Amino acid sequence: MTKLSSRLIGVAAILVSAVVFLVPFAFIIITAFKDKQQAALLDFTWPNGFHLWSNIVEVVTTRNWMMVTAFINSTILTVASVTLLVIFAAMVGFVLARRKTRFNGLIEFLILAGLMIPPAVVPTIWLLQGIGLFGKLHGLILIEVAYGLPFSIILYRAFIATIPRELDEAAIIDGARPLDVFFRVILPLLWPVTVTNIVVQSVGVFNDFTNPLYYLPGNANATVQLTLYNFQSQFNTSYNLLFTNILLITIPPLLVFLFFNRHIVAGMTAGAVKG
Amino acid sequence: MAGLTLKSLRKSYGEVEVIKGVDLNVEHGEFVVFVGPSGCGKSTLLRMIAGLEEITGGDLYIGDKLCNAVEPRDRGIAMVFQSYALYPHMTVYDNVGFGLKLAKAPKDVRDKKVREAARILQMEHLLDRKPSQLSGGQRQRVAIGRAIVRQPEVFLFDEPLSNLDAALRVDMRMELSKLHQDLGATMIYVTHDQVEAMTLADKIVVLNAGVVQQVGSPIELYQRPANLFVAGFIGSPKMNFVDLTVEEIGTDTVTVSGKDIGPTTVPADPTSLKPGDTVTLGIRPHDLLEQSSGNLAGEVSLVERLGNETNVSLRLPSGASWLAVLDGDHELRIGQSLPLTFAPERAVIFDKTGTALHPR
Amino acid sequence: MTALSEAGAAVSPGAPRAIRRSPYPGWFFLPAALIYGILFLVPTLASLYFSLTRWTLFNSTFIGLDNFAQFFREPFLIQGLVNTVIYAVVTSGLKVVLGMMLALLLTSAVMARGYLRSVVFFPVLVSTVGVGITFTVLMHPTQGMINETLALFGIKGPGWLVDPKLALLSVALVDVWKGVGLATVIYIAGIVAIPKDYYEAARIDGATKWQNFLYVTLPLSRPATATVITLSFIGGLRTFDLIWAMTRGGPGFSSDTIASVIYKQYQAGFYGLSTAGNVVLFVLIAILVVPLTMLLNRRQGHE
Repeated sequence: MTKLSSRLIGVAAILVSAVVFLVPFAFIIITAFKDKQQAALLDFTWPNGFHLWSNIVEVVTTRNWMMVTAFINSTILTVASVTLLVIFAAMVGFVLARRKTRFNGLIEFLILAGLMIPPAVVPTIWLLQGIGLFGKLHGLILIEVAYGLPFSIILYRAFIATIPRELDEAAIIDGARPLDVFFRVILPLLWPVTVTNIVVQSVGVFNDFTNPLYYLPGNANATVQLTLYNFQSQFNTSYNLLFTNILLITIPPLLVFLFFNRHIVAGMTAGAVKG
Repeated sequence: MAGLTLKSLRKSYGEVEVIKGVDLNVEHGEFVVFVGPSGCGKSTLLRMIAGLEEITGGDLYIGDKLCNAVEPRDRGIAMVFQSYALYPHMTVYDNVGFGLKLAKAPKDVRDKKVREAARILQMEHLLDRKPSQLSGGQRQRVAIGRAIVRQPEVFLFDEPLSNLDAALRVDMRMELSKLHQDLGATMIYVTHDQVEAMTLADKIVVLNAGVVQQVGSPIELYQRPANLFVAGFIGSPKMNFVDLTVEEIGTDTVTVSGKDIGPTTVPADPTSLKPGDTVTLGIRPHDLLEQSSGNLAGEVSLVERLGNETNVSLRLPSGASWLAVLDGDHELRIGQSLPLTFAPERAVIFDKTGTALHPR
Repeated sequence: MTALSEAGAAVSPGAPRAIRRSPYPGWFFLPAALIYGILFLVPTLASLYFSLTRWTLFNSTFIGLDNFAQFFREPFLIQGLVNTVIYAVVTSGLKVVLGMMLALLLTSAVMARGYLRSVVFFPVLVSTVGVGITFTVLMHPTQGMINETLALFGIKGPGWLVDPKLALLSVALVDVWKGVGLATVIYIAGIVAIPKDYYEAARIDGATKWQNFLYVTLPLSRPATATVITLSFIGGLRTFDLIWAMTRGGPGFSSDTIASVIYKQYQAGFYGLSTAGNVVLFVLIAILVVPLTMLLNRRQGHE
């Protein structure tokens, strides 16, 4: 391939990708700057005036500051579920990698099943109601943990295999009990994988729509995804507000992306190449 | 205060028995080396002493305490691993002091002990570094420091020098020897390198396939190997072997001959032999001498002139390959016939089970 | 508790059997096992029973396979089933092909590679609902930007989300827009892992760029391809968020998938039917994905 044609392809690729991937985001941003009338045109014209701030204020204060509640809920949900996920999955991955028991095959099968089988939603609601966790944030936290365990365990198991068993043994001789070995030796060494796991799971839980929809009905507990969905009817003709909402909830993933892009990519390709 | 006692120690993984009844007595302060080929069980035995492997049968006494069911940290042992097993995320100071921290020792006690160990090993300047910033030899020292700090009754070393380059290995060997002298502690050392065994040990335990072949001082093993295996394992280059027939039995000699060697009378214990039996004769390469009227001759197949000695590979009439190490420089041609001899007292006779028949 | 590292050590007669605690204790499994078992496994198993009932969450009447019969009888339910498979095939197919193409582009010496990779990947991280709403607006048949732009070229844009024949595919396209970045990133990792030696050997053999791709890149990125196919196929079969955000399964039932059917039946109070939907989805995934995985892995074994 000649230099010129490869350059042309390069330029073409940039242009095409710009159009395809950036224009929707540009649209979101531009519409968020507009006022109600101009936004209703749904076109790509430049905003007349800077309405972003007033849009934000209106979105945030609407329905008694529901967005703020939603953000708080989403944050609690994400932080709590990811924290539990990291610790519990690392514990399982650790023992799974180190100890060969006859249950290992069964456990592997259950993990694989978790990746494939769609959760049975109505029975889950029935169960949650039975134990009094339906419609409660901590119920949803546990759900997110349950659904996130298979991926996290696989991630940890693969990584723990790279920590030599001799470190465990040296710690045992030094007098470490199982919890000491896990928290003082293994977990610190798992930090790279933990960061990846945190990042991947956080984005996933924050963007989760289905599970809050099923398990967290009611406005007091809504997450940002639910409020966005619900605001569709409210902002029916106020596209500027709707897109301001979208812009606002895109900011956390954007921040994560800017700081942790490497980790996300590493996490999502972990094990993918080896199949 | 005793050292260590193993009584009929056994280890099985399921159906497979890897340690088949080991008896051993280690005196306090002795440097004992477990040596043997890969897979002989020497590491397994060490790990059983450490408590990292379950003991399937038999008894283990450390000091005077029966330790079969005792946790590693309560056995009074410390271990230096082949790969050092230093905690990568901790500084040298924290690595060495980790055990004390777990035991909730007071900070000043911990500090004193860590610095003392650092002083003994001359690594005070390394205390703030992380393992990744250290060289192989330095990591080695940190691993030893971590062991010293536990003030154990028995030090266990699992092939600690095999990850070092040759020159460093020689240095560290001498340091270990000195350490043993300074601390006066009981040390059990595992290696596959018989040179390390010969130079470091007070007592060598030769293992093969989970069975102890011989226990003795280095010189004992060299001069009076108990069987074919030990004879072939200890001593570098390997002992030469050839199968011969018994011609005559004496009171404490045996006359043997064969295709490769003319009738030779060798001091041996002839009790179990009769004329016509097949035996194996072993003679070390260094004990072969060039002599025109020698009782054996071989065709030269390879010559290595090292200046102070000459390694000669020979092919004997029966087809066996032997090695002779001759003093000084000898110019030899490939294909030429080289007559050799040896002092009969230097030879060892082995019966058909491989047991050595040393003179009584 | 049993020994440290090995399983099932035999007991030798006569020796005091040492029993010690393992540093890898079984109870480490407990927290995860409890949460996973109770909140995932129990409902899954329960669904097998409840799908055979008429259910109000408080009492259930056993009605045998009636729910499933209904599933395969009602046209709108069958439609959901068919749609689900079409959706999965289309999205995973496009993601595989486009993902590979983008990966090839992004691993060649084209300029602004880093920027391109970021741009292609960012949609993966964005809220699905947000993406759904945005594209619903862009796809508006008269006022949406896509059709307005097409109008500039004199093309009358179709009713992306209002034409029953197109709705499902339109959502699928948005799905690909959002998800191709992940496929691309996985492929990039796979391609980058191919040792240069193979390409050099091919060069010595005089291979063209196309032959390079066909005989070196493609076979050696099989694990990546397998992963992309499996992940996107399963994801496609289970899809709900985007469908619900964009069309709610409409117009009519033309873009319903099993997941949206499950939700609709739940909303309507037909819990037994909804759960039957879950079982149908489960079975569908099993009979499609298991042979798929075996096929993909078996072909790998021939390398």
